[in-house]
Parts: sequence; structure tokens; C-alpha cells
Amino acid sequence: MEILGEDRREGISRRIVPRVNLFLLFLVSLILLLSSLYSAEASVFKKARESILDVASPLLSVLSVPVEVVNNLFGRAGDYLHVMDENKALRQENAELRQWMEEALALRQLLSSYEQLQSYQPSPDVIPIDAYVIGDSNDVFARSMVLNAGRNENVRTGYAVVNEAGLVGRIIEAGKNASRVLLLTDIQSRIPVYVEGEGIDGILVGQTRTRPLIRFTNKVTTRPVRSGARVLTSGAGGIIPRGLPVGVVFGMKEDEIEITLNADYSQTRLVRVLEYTFPKDTQSDANDLGETDVNTIGLNENDRGTL
Amino acid sequence: MNTRADSVIGLAKVLFPFLMGVAGVLLLALPVRLFGGAMPMPIIPLAVIFFWSLYDPLKLPASSVFVIGLFQDALTGGPFGLWSCVYLMVQYVVLSQRSYFLGREPQVVWLGFILVAVGAAISVWLVMSLLAGYLLPLWGLSYQIIATICFYPVMGQGFRKIRRRVMQEM
Repeated sequence: MEILGEDRREGISRRIVPRVNLFLLFLVSLILLLSSLYSAEASVFKKARESILDVASPLLSVLSVPVEVVNNLFGRAGDYLHVMDENKALRQENAELRQWMEEALALRQLLSSYEQLQSYQPSPDVIPIDAYVIGDSNDVFARSMVLNAGRNENVRTGYAVVNEAGLVGRIIEAGKNASRVLLLTDIQSRIPVYVEGEGIDGILVGQTRTRPLIRFTNKVTTRPVRSGARVLTSGAGGIIPRGLPVGVVFGMKEDEIEITLNADYSQTRLVRVLEYTFPKDTQSDANDLGETDVNTIGLNENDRGTL
Repeated sequence: MNTRADSVIGLAKVLFPFLMGVAGVLLLALPVRLFGGAMPMPIIPLAVIFFWSLYDPLKLPASSVFVIGLFQDALTGGPFGLWSCVYLMVQYVVLSQRSYFLGREPQVVWLGFILVAVGAAISVWLVMSLLAGYLLPLWGLSYQIIATICFYPVMGQGFRKIRRRVMQEM
């Protein structure tokens, strides 16, 4: 069957399509976009996002199940091809890990004896909230994931999200039953970190590349950074707990350090949101100080709009 | 009774392309990792909007395009208005070039899609660079656009079949 427009052109080209609506809606979109760009993330946008997330989350939850099955199917087909290589690598890694385990056990014993000796102040309690990834934005410039836990499960904006390998990101929107994690590779992601044993503090800045960069805030040494050194959260600003593993140093790039993230986003399925209240100074002016810190490192909620 | 059935059919015809766009957005928001994450997800709504604006613009009015764009912004976490702007721009460009593209060979239409997709990608890149304050790396978006462009002939064929069936049955 011949269809007008697809196979033949006669008598169709002059049909007028109303465009008033198009211009009007384009104008509305442009205003929305400009207000997203030039004003801080307005609460009305945040509310709208959270409501849409809540509405879409049951659908995403249901749909992510067959998606996971298909992903696994393709993943497994690839695995079979590399099974011998992987086996060899795993054996080697296992041997190395056993050595580490011995060392860790010895250190644990040592630590417990120190703890008994000193009046030990334990780190503030972190309550983990388990969640599944039900959405993963396939948008190049907006790197985020949707989790199936929200305010009902005590998830709040700002909480850190980790998987078994390390930091995944932090919560930027918390709906009732779902929340959005801003990944470390997003252009809006700013996480205070330090490089272990190198005397370097900095802010981890996402750049949409797989390897984000550390910008220095404090560097006490001039020697080049050892590649492979561990990068951990510094806890500066009082939002994300100190000491969460983030990645390892990959190399220097001008005046910045490139790092390889521990968390493999393409494999991330189950995560933990860390409910964490930062220890507060008991004095009254502690709150003011905390707020200043947060603003300095640019970790407040208004980040999205001001960047 | 008949008029009522007609209006239901009319509504279904308008809803159909819209729902395909929405499904495309959902695919963009789901944790789909094509080839273990090696291939980016094609931007299916872009193809839906291109195809229906070209062949059947009355079935995909600007309001449908606007809602699809806003839904994508909300679900993927980008700034509000970005994708609705881009999609409406695409629709405008396609409508203005309709008389040229209608009835042409699929290859010519595909070339048109390539131009439109590249234009859309550059707009998104410029806006996001403005938001970031520096020029963002382009390769990620290039991969996604290349995937979308390569996938278009398949999608186009699918849409043609669906459209024929819808037109025949309704």
C-alpha cells in the first residue's frame, strides 16, 4: 500500500500545520531553561522533580526487572568467553588478598588492644539504608541514578551513597519512595577528598569523563603524586563521612589529579545510602561555622543552579 | 455512538506517537546497559519526533513534544526545559523542511535526520557547557548521537510499519 508522504509527494506538501502552539511552548521551554540556568535550583522545580520521580518510580521498578535479566544474559555470554583469563586473574588476586587478610587480622588485634588502652572515641554512627538502582540516566551530561528508597526509608538530600567498592555519589533529590543519586562523574558533582599518605586535600570535580579530577585546596608536598595512591572522602564541609574509599590516583594532569573510581557504574545494582549525622560542636556558634564551611566548598543544595 | 467511537479513535491516533516518545524516555531512564555498557542508549524520542513531525505532524502536536521533552528532563535529571526546547526546535526544523523531504528516498530522509541529530547534539552540548562554565568533552554525546543515527533506519522502518497498520485499521 502506498502511503502519502512516504512513497509519493503529490498534493501533500502544501498542507498547513498550525505552528502557534509550537512557538508558544518553545517560549515556555526557553523560560524554564533560562530559569534553571540562571537561578539557584528553585524549590518549585525540586518539588516537581521529586513528584515526577515518585510517579515514575513504580514503573521504573517494574521495568528494571526484565532489563536486569536481559543485561545479565548479555553479560553472561561475554563472561563465558573470558572465563579462563578471569579464573587465572582471580586466583592471583585471591592469593594477594589472603596476604592482606593476614595483615588485617594482625592489625585488628593491635587496634583492639590500643582501644582498650586509650579512651577511644568511636566515629559517629552511620546507619546504612539498602536500595536497588531502578533508573540510570542514559544522558551524557546528566549522570545520575534513581534508587527505590526515599523519604519513607529516611533517605534525605545530601546523604552519601556507596556500593561494595566505594563511594557512588550523593543524594540530590529525595521523593517519598524514590531518590536520585548524583554520580561522581556528573559536571555538578563536588566531593571533598584527600589522597592517602600524600598530604593532599582537594575537591573531586566531575567532568562527564569516566575519570574525574581532584582540584587542590591544600597541598603540602611538591613531589609528584604516586599513581595508585588511595583517594578517600575528607569529610570537609560536614556532609559526607570521612574515610569512604572513592578511587585511586591515575595520574597528574596539569595542576589536577586524575583518578580512577572504585565504583563501576555499569555494574552497580545494589547500593547503600549512609544516614549520617555529622558530629557537632556543642557550642552555640557551631552551626554558623558549619554553614560557612559548606558554602566554601560548594556542597550546598543550591549547587545545581549556581554552577 | 459512531461519533463517540470516532473521537476515541482520533484520540488513540494522537496518543500513539506520544506514548512511543514516552516509552523512549523510559528506556533512557532505565538501567539498560547495551553490550555491558559499551554502547550508549540511542535517543529514541528524537527519532519518534523526527518521523512523526515529518509524516504525520497532526498526530504529534507540539504539546505532545513539549511533554515528552519535560518528562525526559525530569527523569534523566537534566535542567528543566532543555530537551523540550531541543525537541520543539527539531519539530520546527522538520516542519519547515517537510515539502522537501516528503516522498524522498529513505537515504535522503536519513541524511536529514543526521543533520537534525547533529544540530540537536550541538545545542545540548552548548547549553550544558554554559551550565558547567567551561566547554564539556564532546565524545560521550558523539557516541550517543552516532548510536541514534545508526539506529534510525531500523526505527524508521518500524515506525513506517506501525503507521501503515494504524492507518489501515483505524
